[in-house]
Amino acid sequence: MMKRKADIRKGFRRFGRQIELQALALAGVAYLLVFSILPMFGIIIAFKAYKLTSGVQGIFSSEWIGLKYFTEFFTDYRFTELLRNTIALSTLKMVFAFPIPILLAILISECRSRPFKRLIQTASYLPNFVSWVLVYGISNALLAQNSGAINQLLVKLGILEKGIPFLTDPGRFWGTAVVLSVWKSSGWWAIIFLAAISGIDSTLYEAASIDGAGRLRRIWHITLPGIKGSIVTVLILSIGSFLGGGMVGSNFEQSFLMGNTVNNATSEIIQTYAFKMGMAQGRFSYATAVDLVQSLISIVLVIISNRVAKKISGEGLF
Amino acid sequence: MKRKFSEDMAVDLVVYILLGLVGIVTLYPFYYTIVCSFNDGLDLMKGGVYLWPRKFTLGNYKLFLEDGDWRHAFLVSLARTLVGTAMRVGFTSMFSYALSRNNLMFKKGYRFLVVFTMYFSGGLIPFYVLLRNLGLLNSFWVYVIPGMVDAFFVMTGINFFAAIPESMIEAAKIDGAREIKVLTRVVLPVSKPFLATLALFSAVGQWNSWLDSAYYVRDAKLHTLAYKMMTVINQNIATANTEAAGQLSQANTQTSFTVQATAMAVSMLPIMCVYPFLQKYFVQGMMIGAVKE
Repeated sequence: MMKRKADIRKGFRRFGRQIELQALALAGVAYLLVFSILPMFGIIIAFKAYKLTSGVQGIFSSEWIGLKYFTEFFTDYRFTELLRNTIALSTLKMVFAFPIPILLAILISECRSRPFKRLIQTASYLPNFVSWVLVYGISNALLAQNSGAINQLLVKLGILEKGIPFLTDPGRFWGTAVVLSVWKSSGWWAIIFLAAISGIDSTLYEAASIDGAGRLRRIWHITLPGIKGSIVTVLILSIGSFLGGGMVGSNFEQSFLMGNTVNNATSEIIQTYAFKMGMAQGRFSYATAVDLVQSLISIVLVIISNRVAKKISGEGLF
Repeated sequence: MKRKFSEDMAVDLVVYILLGLVGIVTLYPFYYTIVCSFNDGLDLMKGGVYLWPRKFTLGNYKLFLEDGDWRHAFLVSLARTLVGTAMRVGFTSMFSYALSRNNLMFKKGYRFLVVFTMYFSGGLIPFYVLLRNLGLLNSFWVYVIPGMVDAFFVMTGINFFAAIPESMIEAAKIDGAREIKVLTRVVLPVSKPFLATLALFSAVGQWNSWLDSAYYVRDAKLHTLAYKMMTVINQNIATANTEAAGQLSQANTQTSFTVQATAMAVSMLPIMCVYPFLQKYFVQGMMIGAVKE
């Protein structure tokens, strides 16, 4: 007992000596508590009849209503559609946005002209740094059914009779969204794989070459196994954000910008629906419940990816 | 021997063709935007402009600059980029410096909090409720305060600062320097790559940001360039649709698309300007993160 008291006193003294350092740390901690942790408590309004006008106190004082909003969401006539769109977009992005950067990295690494290689690599990640709004504007300028430059060219050349409604046809939204995501982020993700390729021992290539292996076989037997580690890492990391669009992480912004009344049946996802319910219609409790459904699935996915990471590399993400 | 030679050539050929395509597909959309911004609006509507302006004009830029709304949106974006970047760099580096010191008490708990917030959040609506109650809605500060601490960069900063020799810090302390002085005089000057990466990431993020304008700001005077661009694109699509139905005269929108293209070109400009630096530091910064992972 006495020893413990002495320990506590010692602790206080130590704390006092580093009070300046603690002040810097606690400022950041306080910030995180307010802006990150406090909103997590706000999640309980999904189980309550919350009115925005009741303020922060209202979060705690408003009436509990249990799972009412969850049942309402699960029985909403749009539920299956929203779930389907969210999962379809995420899956398609995973399937295409994942291998293409690897392919691009291999192409760039196989290029023998240094200036050309540099030019293409530098150009390839430019789209990553512009906003989705800009991509939205550009896609309209190029792909709109009547005024889009690409459609106009195809019609003029006689390849098409009428422009293809890439942006308004519900049947084409997923395809357009995935292509734009790939366009925007492939060059950026290729950087990581290129770095991995440059780390491969070059004597391996020489040895294989002497043994008579052609370039394709060298790519297959040396390059790909050499970057297996990076591929697995990136794959694991993208599991947690799967429902947000994975490594290209653009589901919300894309559906928000490119979704319109015509393609709504395929463009509306859980997050944009939650946004509309909450911000546009003022149904805050319901919107929180909808959002929470996606968050819960995501948390499960993060935990899975952490487990997988631990198993493979012996070190978890957190 | 002959077979290997031809495979080599074939691979080269495929590589050059595919990379050439990648280059064109990546750069042409940007180039086309710039071409549109320099072309006369009415002329552009006739179609057929692909490679260079057919009827060259600076009129779109003149219209853009003369329009008070566009100018204002540009200034809002510029202001948030400067203020937001300064605040994030300052606060994030301060926080990660404190957390990087080995003797800091409760270090583990603090770090856990940071990592925890990296993976979990309360979601949009509770955050909105919070901002509303803090009185941050409809104010300029909603652009810069919520992004002051970036958990990912706090972790990166901890790794970076922890590699600074303890003796440098101790020496400054023996000379009687306070922590904040140790940070600004000793630690930060040797952490330029970290600061540059953080500043560039923040600046690009701030400049491109538009969602917070959509979420938290009603006042049109606070709308950013990217947000204003979005509303104008939507307007133009809507008018194009009604025009197609023959309800409106074309003269109405003869220039609105080219002015939109001008705004898009203007919004690309700062990114292009910092691109050489981006290349140097972003790649480095991404690697700092990647190695840790």
